[in-house]
Amino acid sequence: MKLWYSFTKELILSSKSWYFYIELGMAVILLMILAFVVPNDFDSKGEEYIYIDLPQVVRDKYRDNLLEEDLDGTAEFVELEAGKTMYAAELYETDESKIYLLESKDALDAFSNSERVPAVHVRVNEDNQVIHTYYLQGYETQKLKNLLLVFHNKKAAFDVIKDYSDNITVKSIYQDIEPLSDKQNLIPVFLTFNGSLMSLFIIAAYIFLDKNEGIIQAYAVTASSVWQYLLSKIGVVIVTSIVTTSIITVPVMGLQPNYAAMILFIITSGFFAASLGLLITSYYKDIIQSFGTLYIVIVIMIMPNISYFTPSWDPDWVKIIPSYVMLQSFKEIISTNGNMAYVLLASLGFAVLGLDIFILANYRFNKTLTL
Amino acid sequence: MIKVKNLYHSYSNDEKYAVEDVNFEIEKGEIFGFLGPSGAGKSTTQNILTGLLQLQKGEVEVAGYDIKHIKNKMFNKIGMSFEQSNVYTKMSGLENLEFYRKLFDVETRNPMDLIKLVGLDGKENIKAGKYSKGMKHRLTFARSMINNPEMWFLDEPTTGLDPAIAATIKDIIRQENERGVTIFLTTHNMYIADELCNRVAFIVDGKIRLIDFPKELKVKYGKKLVEVEYYKNGEINKESFSTVVDEEKQKLLEVIRKNDIRTMHTKEATLEDIFIKVTGRVLV
Repeated sequence: MKLWYSFTKELILSSKSWYFYIELGMAVILLMILAFVVPNDFDSKGEEYIYIDLPQVVRDKYRDNLLEEDLDGTAEFVELEAGKTMYAAELYETDESKIYLLESKDALDAFSNSERVPAVHVRVNEDNQVIHTYYLQGYETQKLKNLLLVFHNKKAAFDVIKDYSDNITVKSIYQDIEPLSDKQNLIPVFLTFNGSLMSLFIIAAYIFLDKNEGIIQAYAVTASSVWQYLLSKIGVVIVTSIVTTSIITVPVMGLQPNYAAMILFIITSGFFAASLGLLITSYYKDIIQSFGTLYIVIVIMIMPNISYFTPSWDPDWVKIIPSYVMLQSFKEIISTNGNMAYVLLASLGFAVLGLDIFILANYRFNKTLTL
Repeated sequence: MIKVKNLYHSYSNDEKYAVEDVNFEIEKGEIFGFLGPSGAGKSTTQNILTGLLQLQKGEVEVAGYDIKHIKNKMFNKIGMSFEQSNVYTKMSGLENLEFYRKLFDVETRNPMDLIKLVGLDGKENIKAGKYSKGMKHRLTFARSMINNPEMWFLDEPTTGLDPAIAATIKDIIRQENERGVTIFLTTHNMYIADELCNRVAFIVDGKIRLIDFPKELKVKYGKKLVEVEYYKNGEINKESFSTVVDEEKQKLLEVIRKNDIRTMHTKEATLEDIFIKVTGRVLV
């Protein structure tokens, strides 16, 4: 009962504190960003700027080829700015790229020099050979350069490569899982940082506030245990996380996520993060003294984001950082037919780890009540 | 009620002791004053007795409980009024007491009665954060009584209070003591100790220099003189007489009998004088 009294009291107190509204406010801001700023899928099409310096007949043939691949079969006439000058261009949009046909060499130079985009000048030389001149910007990979060399040197290798690539079968490993849109793919990041990991910092703020007012000492001389005080704080932080997670997830994902698994995971991962926050605060007198440690924790926890958005970079050491597991778990939770075994295992891991850290934090608090 | 034997405590876990070889016992129903300047070891000792600091070395028993193995139920018998007010500032005075009463397993006092007792009635629904320093202090003091403690720790209970309220607090302490509550009073204010305490201990640099009854100390360390001012031939004369030498006692009687007395004082030492004499230190 004492735990319940402490919990309800903490809930009332947190509802009167700024931190609570900062968390809710952040959740609403993130929702607004998802709803109105982030497109369903980022435009990842490559842009090509081409000036075809060829006889009209050849140019028309070129256009016809482009129109065949164009999504709506028509060219769009657009005006583009480069170096504060407007240039007319024809836009052909295919599945993979946006191709701008420019009208002059000057326009091509302007885009290459001012906009720092790769540009191609196609012309005929004295021997009536079609020459492609690529204006690269220096950031292109060696792979791309090699590909261009191979592409324009068909005799050497192109046919071989084409035959080879035509015979490659591509299979999706996760055939049952529908891939998330770019917008949905951002949600695990928001949930990990505004939900689970925010627990670490919010609980630190609450504890330092109480330390400053000597509240913990007053609690310690009652017939209630310090662990009940600490657990009631964690309870409040987890409740807040569930609310903020719902604010972000429900409007965007609707009924798609497995909400039971989500609540379970928020509880366990929040318990882990909050316990870690408690342990850190037990070593310091105020938030200023603890800032160095908190900063290091922030930096470490951010690292898995790189792996999340760059799947090719996924070293083993990143996988043991808790935020990596949180990101992957939230991704599974919001995906259709997500891997719930992974989520349950991660929940169990966070619960066990969180309990160990909580016991240690409780020991530290009892030992340092006068700090 | 309290037994302390060979108590040592070092914050740096070495031989630099904040409290060194402290020994004392407090009987049930006593008001025991623990007196010393800042940094003398008063708070360290009190924090160990209340479990806020872990016992490193020595034996301590409070209200029948061994402090080495503190049990939560021990705190049902203990009340602690902190020097620094530590109430929930976002809760009202009444809410603070209502919450704390739920943290004990024994019958608690009515929060409103305590609010009235310390003169906060009418302000019970105001957030404690809006209280003055003195009001917060009174709320902290009232909170320490919520569980009807048998053993009451008071840390500078009248600090920062105006004289009228300080007098009220002292009255409450006396009343509680009359009900049988044992009181451990930590202070550097010799006047409140003089007024309230049955026994006092002087602590300096972590060591207890003396434990005795204030009256005994005054007798022991005070000058055995009476200073008299009297009118003689229209002029004010001033003389001191020994209260133990027969010849001087006769002279004193003669002066009283033959002259109009203007003032007459025994040259009794104050606790502060005695503290300085015993420890060679002033109470700051």
